[in-house]
Amino acid sequence: MTAPTTATEPVVLAAIGGTSMAPLVLETAAKLGELIGATVEAVHVDEGPADTTGTLAATFGVSVRRLRGPVASTLLAATESPNVLVAVIGGHGPASDDGPVGPTARHILEHTTRPALVVPPDVRLPTVIRRCLVPLEGTEPSSRPVLQALGRLLRNEVELVVLHVFTDETLPRMLDRPYQDMELLGQEFLITHCPPAGAIEMRRGPVASRVVEVSEEREADLIVLSWSQVGEEGRARVVRDVLGASDRPVLLLPVTDGGADR
Amino acid sequence: MTDLPELDRTFEAVVVDWDATRGAVSKAELARLRDRLEELCAAGVPVFVLADGRLPDLRRDVGFHPAGPGRLFLCCEQGSADFEVIEDDVVAVSTREPRAEESSALDRAAERVADALADLGFDATVEETGRTARRVVASPRRADGPSDRSVEGSGTDPAPTLPATLGEPGLRALARQQAELAGLVGPQVTVGVDDIQLALTTKSDAAQFASDWLAERGITGELVLVVGRASSWPPLARAIVLPPGGRAGRSKIGSPSGLVGLAATLQAQLDRRAERRVPQVDPDPAWTFGLVEDGPHQRSAEALGSLCNGQVGVRGSREEGGPGTAPLFLAAGVYDHDEHLLPGPIWTEVDLVPAPGPSTGHRLLDLRTGVLVRVDEQTGLRSLRFVSIASPRLMAFRLEVPSSMLQPGNPVRSPSQAIDFTRRFSGDVCIAVSRDSARNIAVAARDQMGEVAGRSSLERLAAWDTSTAGKTSQLESKRLLREGEAAGFEALLAEHRRAWADRWADAEVNIEGTGAAADQLQVRLAVFHLLSAIGETAEAAVGARGMTGAAYAGHVFWDADIFVLPALAALRPEAARAMLEYRIRRLPAARATAEASGRSGARFPWESAGDGYDVTPRLVDDGHGHQVPIATGPHEEHIVADVAWAATHYTTWSSDRTFLARAGRALIVETARYWASRVQADAGGRYHIFEVMGPDEYHEVVDDNAYTNVMARWNLREGARLLRSERPDDREATHWVELADRLVDGWDRDRNLYEQFTGFFDLESLLVADIAPPPVAIDMLLGADRVARSQIIKQADVLMLHHLVPAEVAEGSLRPCLDFYEPRTAHGSSLSPAISASLLARAGRPDEALELFRVAARIDADDLTGTTAGGLHLATMGGVWQALAFGFLGLRADSEALRIDPCLPDAWSLLSMRMRFRGTRLRVEASHDRVSIDCDSPIAVRVGSRAVEHCEPPSRTFSLPGGLEHEGRRR
Repeated sequence: MTAPTTATEPVVLAAIGGTSMAPLVLETAAKLGELIGATVEAVHVDEGPADTTGTLAATFGVSVRRLRGPVASTLLAATESPNVLVAVIGGHGPASDDGPVGPTARHILEHTTRPALVVPPDVRLPTVIRRCLVPLEGTEPSSRPVLQALGRLLRNEVELVVLHVFTDETLPRMLDRPYQDMELLGQEFLITHCPPAGAIEMRRGPVASRVVEVSEEREADLIVLSWSQVGEEGRARVVRDVLGASDRPVLLLPVTDGGADR
Repeated sequence: MTDLPELDRTFEAVVVDWDATRGAVSKAELARLRDRLEELCAAGVPVFVLADGRLPDLRRDVGFHPAGPGRLFLCCEQGSADFEVIEDDVVAVSTREPRAEESSALDRAAERVADALADLGFDATVEETGRTARRVVASPRRADGPSDRSVEGSGTDPAPTLPATLGEPGLRALARQQAELAGLVGPQVTVGVDDIQLALTTKSDAAQFASDWLAERGITGELVLVVGRASSWPPLARAIVLPPGGRAGRSKIGSPSGLVGLAATLQAQLDRRAERRVPQVDPDPAWTFGLVEDGPHQRSAEALGSLCNGQVGVRGSREEGGPGTAPLFLAAGVYDHDEHLLPGPIWTEVDLVPAPGPSTGHRLLDLRTGVLVRVDEQTGLRSLRFVSIASPRLMAFRLEVPSSMLQPGNPVRSPSQAIDFTRRFSGDVCIAVSRDSARNIAVAARDQMGEVAGRSSLERLAAWDTSTAGKTSQLESKRLLREGEAAGFEALLAEHRRAWADRWADAEVNIEGTGAAADQLQVRLAVFHLLSAIGETAEAAVGARGMTGAAYAGHVFWDADIFVLPALAALRPEAARAMLEYRIRRLPAARATAEASGRSGARFPWESAGDGYDVTPRLVDDGHGHQVPIATGPHEEHIVADVAWAATHYTTWSSDRTFLARAGRALIVETARYWASRVQADAGGRYHIFEVMGPDEYHEVVDDNAYTNVMARWNLREGARLLRSERPDDREATHWVELADRLVDGWDRDRNLYEQFTGFFDLESLLVADIAPPPVAIDMLLGADRVARSQIIKQADVLMLHHLVPAEVAEGSLRPCLDFYEPRTAHGSSLSPAISASLLARAGRPDEALELFRVAARIDADDLTGTTAGGLHLATMGGVWQALAFGFLGLRADSEALRIDPCLPDAWSLLSMRMRFRGTRLRVEASHDRVSIDCDSPIAVRVGSRAVEHCEPPSRTFSLPGGLEHEGRRR
């Protein structure tokens, strides 16, 4: 077990329970910690003497902090510690009736002020996180918080691939030379909405499906989505669909100024 | 007084009402005022002094001789005589002489007014106060004897004044009534305390003279300071008016209460010049285009704010650069080894801390004078830049900011692209060169910086050269810079403004009606960029985006020949000629290309750049990592005929009658020769052109495309006509005519409809509106394969024939072709809406035409393609002009006359366009029932369905009570 983190040291907080997701969450958190230059700390709401999370965390070289109290609110409070950069939590994929994440994870996602990385149960984890897919809808209010958050988080080298999915309403009305003009549109999109990105993919159709497709085509290690933290039915459909369909970790960036609602 | 916001600007001209001023100031103040006016003249500011009196009196008051580049005009005698003081001479430059009958009517009117005043109890006498004015002086008649206005202190009641009798309105009405009875219509009547003045002219006429003189130099509206009471001067209605002693305002008159600080106001103007303050533009909404600069629009605003002079162009990037900006300086026809336009050194950047960013302030492109200004009230930043069209090798900008913001930096910087860039200093002149292979662009620039009252100013003059030898370029650019510095910023700006006024004198467009102001501004934006894009010297390689962006790499397409050139042929024929010279000089490459494919003649490439060979990419990435072939290069052969058409069109519109017989001959003959070798005979003796692509690029490789075949047929016939004009029995010409006559064209006689290509009518009959409202990039919606299997087309194809060569298509076929093809046209090309608008207007459907016209006119302003950031769609702008000229005005040139057959939408009440036609400068103005033509030399016209008539200068109006006849309907 590593030494506990100090209060000012940047931390990736892995919220683990006694489920099979715990090792995946810990491993993903470790890779994210390497990417953003932060120490990983696991937190666990103590549920009894049979708890083996400490042993598990130790195998990943991660310290674990045991907490007491109601699970959801206690974990949420932990994510709000000043030195927490990102919270990592487990999802349970599409198999469940109540959506791609359980009620505890959902409570954290909808209320934390920190970016949260959701790990799907069938997650494909690379050795190193080196490519992030960043779907952007192409409005300044939705792009800005993503850029700001990524600027804070991504300190090590990582390739950003932007995805823009046209809807029937946002398609350009004219394309003089379809291929070349789309390339031009893509370049302009990057310059306007995500200058640090090195590549862009442009697609048309249902957004979530395209996100999942392109994340596989481009072998993205991580998907970055902004969202407004309103998870109720009818809202954040893209977020819910991607969480339910993708085998990539999804980094959710909370947007509080109405900038995005995927 | 100088702290008034209205006066916190640099005026470019001063107009002084001397009568108003003289009465309000002391002699000493008058002398100071006169001194300041003299100094302003010396600084280059034109000064107009207006007075009702005669020249000697005014000359006595305003006794200086202008010593500098400024001009001094004395406008006297109630606006009937204007003089210019040139050194020791006073030269009459404009007089308004009344006709004999006007003079006698004026005399009679004055006598009648005198009689009427006598009836009111006044002794009245008539004085001739000028060639166009009479003054009736009245004094109250005393009951006990002759009148004596000088009696004072006599103890009697004060003598009644004139206004005390009937009041000023009553006296004016009386005077006008008497004038009318004397046969004088509409005199100017001025009522004073003891006189009534009747005049054929007033100071407003002098103001008109001043306004016209200034407008010819691009000085209008708020660039003019009027000192005096000018509320009755409509010609200077938008000037800033400074009443003697009153508050300044836009055309407002304060109450004169004595002159305080007027001389100081003028002194402040002198100070602004000495401090190199940033000049102003006239913020006339009809002529200024505001750049929208929020995030997504920032880069398209850069393109829209581009300034070009036909030889070079600079994007409208903000001075501080920064993320998201794409500063670019390009020279026409200077390509790198990849045949992409070579980015030149950037001369528009400065270092500002903190950088203001795009979200504050505003920027205006002044279309009238070709300058880009920026005003940021929040930071105090102001700037103005121009690329001179009068001295095309020179460019300049000024900037002023709070002192702490401006940081030292290089005047010329490397373009963002990775290119060979060098920079050195020669003294304080910075010389930089962008270089690639044998081509280079050199820019020399020097900064003049100053600081006054916490405000830093920067003046940068720059000169460019593209000589092929690098060292020569550097030396030449430095020499040119010295020339520019000798002239000075203000003189360069003045000549630039004047040059733009000259260009607009042949190109202005006016539209009146509902929503017409917005239409007019968009059209002016288009015409502005068309006038900017093409040089008049040597050759002009006009890329699809001109010099306003890097997209399309500066490659030349049919956009230049078919869409841009027709506008230039009418607006600046010399520029159209330079565009054709570009083709002429690439005939060797076109011949070699034809020969390489086993053909004869000349085959011009779909995309060309410097060397004239095809630069169309053969393969491009489809965005999914797959390489897909591009069919336009190998198959869009219609450009061969398009080039020939451009040459013919230029000849038809210009006064260059020998072009086709000489320099342009090969453009017709060699292209015809190509088609003669390209067509293939079938067993039945009919000729075909297989495996081509028409303008509708949704259907890539087809046989017997109607557009290609009919244009080829036209080309063969034109070639034969030219050869026969030299040798009537030319055998090759005879062969070409035979080929042309037997070339299939897809015409269905029963439907009077052309089939776009063989098998087109068998495709799935889809209508665009059933899928999405046009314009729509429908290939993105349905997929390219599905669209290719349908009858949906990208843009006018068959209908282009009705636009370009109506004599080559079946009579009466426009309507059925429009009815069939327009609902199938997605307008997925930026070239499309304008041409359809033109044809709809010709078919008598002007309101539908207006809808598409408005789409075309806003393609860049609204960034409908999403690619305006990469440069403006020059061809669309040419199409917009064509829709107005050939569509709504119905202009069409034939060998006899210019046909004018207007068809205006209901929303427009009037459309007028200036242009040149066969050497005649003309202005055609149309309303729904009338056509007026102003011309400077006789011209043959055919208006509506009338016979050919001659229009003599200066103008003629044709009344069309029955409305105008079109192919489609009679209005």
